[in-house]
Amino acid sequence: MGLPLTGHVSVDDSARLIRNYRYAVERAMRALGGWIALTPDVSAKLLMGRHVWDLAQHAEAFGKRLPELRAPAQVSEPANERVVAFMDALEEPETPQQTVERLVGVYRVLKPHLRASYHDYLLRANAVYEPPTRRILSRCIDDERRHIVAGETIIGHLCATPALTARALAWQRRLERLLAAAGGVTGDGLPPSPPGAGDAPMEMSDDAREFIRLEAPMASWPVPQDLRDALDSLGSSLLARNRAALARWLAAGVSPDPVCLALGAATLTSHRLVAIARLGHQRLVKWRLEGPDASVTVLGRWVPGPEGWRVVTLDVARIELPGLAEPRR
Amino acid sequence: MDRPIAYDKLAREDRWVRMRAREVAELKVEQGLPPFPDLSTRDSIRERVHGILVGEMQAMEGAGRTVCDFPDAPWEFTMDMARQVWDESRHVEIYLRLLEHLGGYPGEFPETTILWRCACAEDAAARVAGVNRGLEGLACDVFNQLVHIARRIGDPILERAVEFVLADEITHVRMGSKWLTKLTEGDPERRRKAIEFQENIDERFNLGGIRQDGDHEAVSISVATDVRRMAGFTEEEIERLIKTTQRSQAY
Ligand SMILES: [Fe+2]
Ligand SMILES: [Fe+2]
Repeated sequence: MGLPLTGHVSVDDSARLIRNYRYAVERAMRALGGWIALTPDVSAKLLMGRHVWDLAQHAEAFGKRLPELRAPAQVSEPANERVVAFMDALEEPETPQQTVERLVGVYRVLKPHLRASYHDYLLRANAVYEPPTRRILSRCIDDERRHIVAGETIIGHLCATPALTARALAWQRRLERLLAAAGGVTGDGLPPSPPGAGDAPMEMSDDAREFIRLEAPMASWPVPQDLRDALDSLGSSLLARNRAALARWLAAGVSPDPVCLALGAATLTSHRLVAIARLGHQRLVKWRLEGPDASVTVLGRWVPGPEGWRVVTLDVARIELPGLAEPRR
Repeated sequence: MDRPIAYDKLAREDRWVRMRAREVAELKVEQGLPPFPDLSTRDSIRERVHGILVGEMQAMEGAGRTVCDFPDAPWEFTMDMARQVWDESRHVEIYLRLLEHLGGYPGEFPETTILWRCACAEDAAARVAGVNRGLEGLACDVFNQLVHIARRIGDPILERAVEFVLADEITHVRMGSKWLTKLTEGDPERRRKAIEFQENIDERFNLGGIRQDGDHEAVSISVATDVRRMAGFTEEEIERLIKTTQRSQAY
């Protein structure tokens, strides 16, 4: 006896499900694409960059299937208004500090749900007359499994503090509530997640561990000792707002006042070098001064001379206020 | 999501230092150095590779924005741009690793954001003309020369990796030509503006006479005429580009 001819969905229902999937996939693809520029962390940028194309291919495959189901090609359709609200919320986090929220929305909420929903449909899709849809679903399930593993790896890397972990969880819960209220992307409810999410191999050019390695900060800066000493001294002087000690490193005519003024009264307890760029024989150097109240980035241009290294320009590049703990850089 | 976003929203890790291209060039000239790294030493090759890495990152970010910013553009256009995002994200990884291979590190040289600014054009046709044809045409010139230099200095890792990236860039230029035509069909004014945008970019990236038609060893950036032909530039366009490079100017 061959495979059963029992069917669970009509042609029209199948086209509707596919339009619903395509809506979520297309919006997620456009969001990931747009977020790359808004996301500072290279690991997350590379992750998003890799997956935009996979999602575009999913949307394309769904969209091409539609005319075979008596429906217009490449059409996306939300199942209901609450699905629109869910996707709107998922797209919300846009600030540089919200990389974790961006990734959590896509990789912890939407993608696991899509994988479960595809799997649920695959179980019900008839093996005799729905293989064209089944093949698309199988490919999407494989990709989503891989994406989820890669995304979770990067989220784990970025959630470097308990506060970030808590923020990630809170955001996840909020989006899960919205998704549940929508009845999932198809409006038909939330199918249980299939087993085996955590064992996808990382091999299809989206090895998240490599993305994380490429993000690692410099272990030690390749600078001559005299410059290193000068940088340490200037960093400490900035922290202490010690104008006299600062002036020791400033070239003639450069005043410490504007930077000291910009640092204001914020309590700053530590300093570290975060960037050293070469500009011919000169160096552009960035310090990060941190404290409970604020985090300040100071940029100086150092020029070598007969007296040693001196700063010819010194500016406060950025001041960040408390409460917004940032992912580790 | 805001569409399009302001160009100053480009997000970076702390390890990068951003500076205007003009200021970088001026400060180097003040030190008696060429404004743009030639390929005469391993150090200058590393600086060039760093500049390319930054360009690849902005190309990835720009193509990503194009996927996001134009939901009403033809679906095939979105597909091409999404494919480009994937390619550019692999290019970023490739150049991060090539930089490592050459003993450098991300942020070793200042980042300039000319490419990103071009990628912020409001019209999709201008973006593909400026970025895919103007800037990725420049990438074809630069990568073609880099493959040649890598071969000469006996660096097969650099040679092979860049050759594959170059193949992708040729595809991106072709996409640019295709979409410049398709998006402006029946709208000669839109086409004229997009081409004008591209020509401004071409002119700017002649870098005051640094890009020229000439031997890889003799000029800082040599116009890759054969590769450009392969990428779909017409003879007339190549000739016009070479002519503009001859109008030498102070940077
Ligand atoms: Fe590229
Ligand atoms: Fe490209």
